[in-house]
Amino acid sequence: MYIKCDKKGFEMAKSKEQPVQNGETKIKVKTRISFKSSFRKYWQLYLLLLIPIVYFIVFKYGPMEYIITAFKKYKINASVWDMEWAMDKKKNTDILFYFKQAFQDNQFMRALRNTVLLNVLDLLIGFPAPIIFALILNELVFTRFKKVVQTIAYMPHFLSWVIIYSLSLRIFATDDGLLNLLFNKIGIDSVPFLGDKVWWVVTYIFLGVWQNFGWGSIVYLAAIAGINTELYEAASVDGAGRFKKMWHITLPGIKPTIVVLLIMNLGNILGGGFDRPFAMQNNLVLETAEVISTYVYKKGVLGAQYSLTTAVGLFQSVVGVFFLLMANFISRKLGERGIW
Amino acid sequence: MKKVLALLLCVCMILSLAACSKEENNNTPTPEQTNDTTPAAQDNNDKNTDTTTKTPDPTPTDVPVEVIEDKDEISELTNGQLVDGKFPEKKHITVEVYDRDGGTPANDNMYTDFIKKGMLEKYNVEVEFVAVPRWTEVEQINNLLAANDAPDICYSYSFPTVQAYADMGGILDMSEYLTDEYKGLFPNLWNWLGSAGINYRKNPQDGTIIAIEGKRNATERIVTFVRKDWLDKLGIAAPTTTQQFEDMLVAFKNNAETLLGADANKLVCYAVTEDVGWTAAGLIESKIDPDISDKDQYVYGFDDRRFTMPGTKDAVKILNKWYNQGLLWNDFALYASGDTTLDDMLKAGYVGAYTQNYDLVFRDGENGINYNLSQIVGPEAKFVAIDPFEDKNGNHTKYLYSAVGSDRKIFFPATNKEPLACMLYLDFISDAANVEYLQIGEEGITHTKDANGVVYIQAADDAHAAYRPNSGYNIDLTMTTNGLRLSSDELTIKSMAYGYANVDPEDVVNAINVSLNDAKYPTSIDLGTIDAETTVGDTLTSYQRQTFDKAVAAAEADFDTVWDSGMADYLAAGGQDIIDERLEKWTEAYGSATMLP
Repeated sequence: MYIKCDKKGFEMAKSKEQPVQNGETKIKVKTRISFKSSFRKYWQLYLLLLIPIVYFIVFKYGPMEYIITAFKKYKINASVWDMEWAMDKKKNTDILFYFKQAFQDNQFMRALRNTVLLNVLDLLIGFPAPIIFALILNELVFTRFKKVVQTIAYMPHFLSWVIIYSLSLRIFATDDGLLNLLFNKIGIDSVPFLGDKVWWVVTYIFLGVWQNFGWGSIVYLAAIAGINTELYEAASVDGAGRFKKMWHITLPGIKPTIVVLLIMNLGNILGGGFDRPFAMQNNLVLETAEVISTYVYKKGVLGAQYSLTTAVGLFQSVVGVFFLLMANFISRKLGERGIW
Repeated sequence: MKKVLALLLCVCMILSLAACSKEENNNTPTPEQTNDTTPAAQDNNDKNTDTTTKTPDPTPTDVPVEVIEDKDEISELTNGQLVDGKFPEKKHITVEVYDRDGGTPANDNMYTDFIKKGMLEKYNVEVEFVAVPRWTEVEQINNLLAANDAPDICYSYSFPTVQAYADMGGILDMSEYLTDEYKGLFPNLWNWLGSAGINYRKNPQDGTIIAIEGKRNATERIVTFVRKDWLDKLGIAAPTTTQQFEDMLVAFKNNAETLLGADANKLVCYAVTEDVGWTAAGLIESKIDPDISDKDQYVYGFDDRRFTMPGTKDAVKILNKWYNQGLLWNDFALYASGDTTLDDMLKAGYVGAYTQNYDLVFRDGENGINYNLSQIVGPEAKFVAIDPFEDKNGNHTKYLYSAVGSDRKIFFPATNKEPLACMLYLDFISDAANVEYLQIGEEGITHTKDANGVVYIQAADDAHAAYRPNSGYNIDLTMTTNGLRLSSDELTIKSMAYGYANVDPEDVVNAINVSLNDAKYPTSIDLGTIDAETTVGDTLTSYQRQTFDKAVAAAEADFDTVWDSGMADYLAAGGQDIIDERLEKWTEAYGSATMLP
């Protein structure tokens, strides 16, 4: 018995939801399954789905009501609807007051600049790193060695930034950091890796790459595993070397994955983590180390300026969505699959 | 099978979510930086300890408050909330307590039990303590307030924080219970703090009181410590001028091998931390004009590190020079507030000199700095107080804490549903007998007394581990009292030198003398709320720290640029508004006068 279902037959089946005559066998193609019967069959899965749905409602959509505080004067003991609209210093209603305040604030402008700068650097250096690593790993023949390397490369991902910073202090400190002790031994002056604003950026980017390249490569390795091996065989027959195969088969094979991840990264251009910059900041480098997330924490939670920081957060999200849409649009124009 | 698996997975996820939501505070507090004191030295007429003359405490005293004895009167006064002096139904309140990582958990020891028992018996109020790490207290209390989760009774050293939340309606007005008719219900509170402390933060416009001020019974503040054994080893006399101090640091550096042997490269001559304004306060205060006018003190007085005071820049310039000569700790700015690295360096004996609270090296018994130093380096190794920074007149001007206005601000968040019970708590905790028990503990276990009643503090043995206070003299439990407060001032003064376990009382006396030498109280002027100060506190502190740190670590040629641009940032971020508003208030009150009438 075989089922032959060409495109036409399938469309017919879809439109009529009737048994179709197809070849010799009569089969019932039912493409629309009612939610009820599906639920009865897969209720366990739906039950599992409930958890993320509840999560999104409670933690992502529920709090959105408070976006309005960006336009209002925050009161801790009033509901968001009862708060007064934002007022400027002369007590005239000006619902964009907090946005204006943010853009007049030196600290915010610096945080904005730093966020973009650090994220772009991260993207330029940190984004290709796992791809290159995955390509290299893929070329390794000795599987046990490959697995060991992989595991070691994953590990930093599980360390919190507080721990990584403490470790990095021991390595990069000016007085007694390992690296500088080594430098001093061979007659080079100490380098202020963590105390100079330019060196700090280098260290910051390096540590970010170090923490994430192993973990980030998993997705690419999975994508590489999905490439048809016949392609490689055919290429070998045609006389392609390793590098040619990598360039013409592996890379195009994982291109969709790269594009999806790139789009998601671009959507995060004003976002980025909190713990990495926060753990690594110190007073000497704050000028380049303050990013929006840490600014929002300091101004909002510590400085109790909720309206101002909600405005900043909202701005950050809107720009993020804009970048995401733009990247998606461009990628579709270039003939790649977008993320939707 | 599938069903079982699915259910199992569900349970797993729910449990892990629940586990994630539980928060724990793991901050390690350290005894560095900021405003605490422990034992007290009140004035000069003490023969045992021979302390130097001290300007009298400017706090006015009130007429003693009479206790309301009549239970019916109390019941009537409180609209029947109190019957027979107690709540008819058990009340539950939560109370903040700093955690200093001391001998016992801050919220669970003999002393918290004492308070719990006392409050339950006296008022039928159940007390629960909420521990807040001392060295990140402002952040922590902010987080708690933001989450509507703050204890019913909070305290903080940061008034701008309280003010910011009050502005949003997050703080309860305490004035309802601080009227004259209620005085008799809280006699201990009124008799101890007086209207000076209670009305210190009273809003002159509407009479609201969002916080009351705790009182310092010890106003000694800072000294500079130096390694006595290093001075002896190198044959240097204790420096008495800034130049001599510098020469001493240079000598330390040049003799690193002699002093530390193989660890010579770990030597730090003078350790300032990222909080330069505090850990170099001695030098900074010596550069501020000793004859500074009251007006300048008030107008430039917002910043608690005297950042905007005329003269501070000169002091930082000296630090910058020392930094570039390799006399300071190169990585001082890399360790955040609360980090224990410097503490460990002090205990390990790598540091030559540093500036801190006058009793810091004596504190904490077996965790103490001098104690550990003697254990690790040798019995001769110890820090002693010196007085090296001279002002333009050749004196050694330094500032004391003002008794009122510089300690913790006690406030009730708006989430507090039991203000009366909380007020009674404050009264209970201000009661002299309760304070004495909390400060010195049980005789024979945490202290002994001589025939005259002088108290000798000792460390509790292992069998009585629960008696080890989390903070020296339990100052965090006695929130209205900071500093030893025994039944009479005379006893307090005599006992203060014996306030530390494992410490030579001579060293304590010396440190107290140094901290009082040429010391003066900051002029305490309150001309009402400064609107510009609300909500900018954290931003300005951040700019202040950044500027201090960057200026110290700058190349000598860049010093002026770095300092000036940092100062410009500070002023632009709200510092100038504060100065302007303060100037306006001053002119309004005193016209063109530069001194208080």
